[in-house]
Amino acid sequence: MLQYMIILLDDTSTSFCHYETTKTERNLISLDNLRKAIRLAMIENVTAQMVYPAYELPQEYYEVINTIDHSDIAPLEQKNENSDVIVLKDWQYNPPKGCVAVVRATLAALLEHGEVVNEWLKTVARLNVVITDVDTFTDDDQKQYADFLQKLGKGVEQLFMNGLSPQLNLLTDRMMLTSMNNCGAGDTCITLAPNGKFYICPAFYYENPDDNVGDLEQGINIPNKQLYKLGYAPICRECDSWHCKRCVWLNRKLTLEVNTPSHEQCVMAHTERNASRQLMVSIREKGIFLPDKELIPEIDYLDPFNKIKK
Amino acid sequence: MAKKLVGQVTPAERDEIQRLFERRNGLNELAKILTADNQELYERLVNDMGETGTKFQQWWDTMSQQYGWESVPDGSWEIDFNSCEIYLVTPEP
Amino acid sequence: MSFLTAKKAIDYILTSSLFFGRQKAVILDFIGGEPLLEVELIDKICDYFKLQTYKKGHKWFNAYRINLTTNGLNYHTRKVRKFIEKNITHLSITITIDGNEIKHDLNRVYKNSGKGSYKNVLKNIPLWLQDFKDIGTKVTISSADIPYIKESVLHLYSLGIHEVNINVVFEDVWQPGDDKRFEDQLMQLADAIIDGEYYKDFACSFFSEQIGKPLDPELENQNWCGAGKMLSVDAAGNFYPCTRFAAYSLREKRPIIIGNVHDGIDKNKLRPFLTLDRTTQSPAKCLECEVASGCAWCQGENYDAADTPTIYQRATAICLMHKARVRANNYYWNRLFRKLELEGEREHWEDNKPQSNEIIC
Repeated sequence: MLQYMIILLDDTSTSFCHYETTKTERNLISLDNLRKAIRLAMIENVTAQMVYPAYELPQEYYEVINTIDHSDIAPLEQKNENSDVIVLKDWQYNPPKGCVAVVRATLAALLEHGEVVNEWLKTVARLNVVITDVDTFTDDDQKQYADFLQKLGKGVEQLFMNGLSPQLNLLTDRMMLTSMNNCGAGDTCITLAPNGKFYICPAFYYENPDDNVGDLEQGINIPNKQLYKLGYAPICRECDSWHCKRCVWLNRKLTLEVNTPSHEQCVMAHTERNASRQLMVSIREKGIFLPDKELIPEIDYLDPFNKIKK
Repeated sequence: MAKKLVGQVTPAERDEIQRLFERRNGLNELAKILTADNQELYERLVNDMGETGTKFQQWWDTMSQQYGWESVPDGSWEIDFNSCEIYLVTPEP
Repeated sequence: MSFLTAKKAIDYILTSSLFFGRQKAVILDFIGGEPLLEVELIDKICDYFKLQTYKKGHKWFNAYRINLTTNGLNYHTRKVRKFIEKNITHLSITITIDGNEIKHDLNRVYKNSGKGSYKNVLKNIPLWLQDFKDIGTKVTISSADIPYIKESVLHLYSLGIHEVNINVVFEDVWQPGDDKRFEDQLMQLADAIIDGEYYKDFACSFFSEQIGKPLDPELENQNWCGAGKMLSVDAAGNFYPCTRFAAYSLREKRPIIIGNVHDGIDKNKLRPFLTLDRTTQSPAKCLECEVASGCAWCQGENYDAADTPTIYQRATAICLMHKARVRANNYYWNRLFRKLELEGEREHWEDNKPQSNEIIC
């Protein structure tokens, strides 16, 4: 069931996920389309998520946006006291205290700036790290990434020991979850682009604006909608990397099917899952930790495809 | 030709003779394209043909003794690879 | 296809342990166009395969087959005869003779004259059956072929072809009333096979004891089609999960290329094929169907007919035709078993019944 409508306010709205904002020319959504989108969100009873560009919008836009209860995803340059999620472009500027921050980085950049992550976790409410080059993840990368997460885990463990409750998607989400909690694009979440058309997610818009699934006039029509649901994903439904984004755009890009994850995405998610397990074990050795949660089980694979095909 | 069921082997025994049968056929067909110019490979082939032929015959000798299959002059045995059954094949009188 | 491309394809499959190292045996299947037009190239490719497997001590040297499906027109030519003689212990050739003259010539005509090829194919059938005595033929049925089904199967039997593998096409070609006409033809065929006692020595894949039953969603959840478990190589050296995914086989969609002879297979593109199961791709009506078993599908046609570029949407154009087949099939077995029981022949027949292989692609 649809729960969220992501509204890209401009063609240059910040990316908060795997895709790149490939459009460089400003193209603001029309006020008329924005009003229609908000009206539809109210009718469908879904939460609107506004995604901002790196420039200030005309005042009347803020007034229209405020006619609906919504959340704001903004680049650091346009953050304000209402911003729910702040997207950081690089590692130089510290995120505001107490915010939910997203940092997009290549694996190499993440490995290079790993110590910053621990510093930020001391002050932010939550940090989402989005690795932007999952598709080129190699076996060697996997080993480096596993080492990195192990090191990072030690820092996170220390924060827990100090009485903090750091939230880092790569390490703490899996231990908190009891079932799949993925991106939901095409299932629980839909995106409206500035052209007034709907897309499975922003990535689908930037990749091909003709690849829409309806518009504000005709409504949303997702062909083969079932394929975005977990039950129709043979690999994912057997998987317990519950924190995985399960990015349907990356799926389609790499395997040509929205319901089938690539080997790389699976290995990355399982490397995080296993690091999360290790963190959980390590903290529990020192005292009571998440007593209502089951310990993440030990497994002998990094790609559930291998489990299915055994 | 007349065919009479005279016995049966185990699947493992069948696998062995089937592998030898396939190999013998493969070597025979390879012999049609390999010339003595390619000396090393040619010699290997000739050795293999001899060795495979011997193993092939040994399988029939061993199995026929082990199971005591019926035999007649001018007759020969045949195996059905699907059922593992052994038939005695004799020319029509 | 150039010989160089073929060589590269063979080199790849012989060394790629990831996918092919696990298979005990391999079939080299040559399809066209008309493969016998290039029999010398095929011969050269087969020779290369034999030499390489032997040189490498590859297990497939002891376990390979060469398959060809041909229109049969060149079957008697000297170079084809030479090829057959040379490879006979590993070779299987199927001549597609579609049935009686009318049915065959509906679908198979010479490019320039538009004249049917039946008479010329027929000339080579005795030679073919002499080479491959237990071989069957494959017949496909489209809307216009329905009136000729019974006569065609009986005609093929009369030529000495003991196994007729026959299926309806998966494409949405069916007209209103085709299912009734189809059922009627199969009923007539059932009577003819039983009354003529063809069931003793001949097989027709339309009639199978396994079809027309509900399927368990968990225990009987396997995919029908073998796409992705085979590898198809085109003339340019591109790899496909089946030739049905090549551009020349598709009406609507872009080809699904899963690699090439230079770079090998992109394993990510193979994952959807290898994890595909029946329930995930089937609509509710198929999952609830009480006569589901034996209802086939072609992954390539599913893809081509799907609303989005996916292999996970099962096409159901044959639904009514399958149900018609099930009704005629029920009739056939009920009548046949009753006859055999009354004659006290049931047990003997069960022990000696001719085998039919359901080959649908």
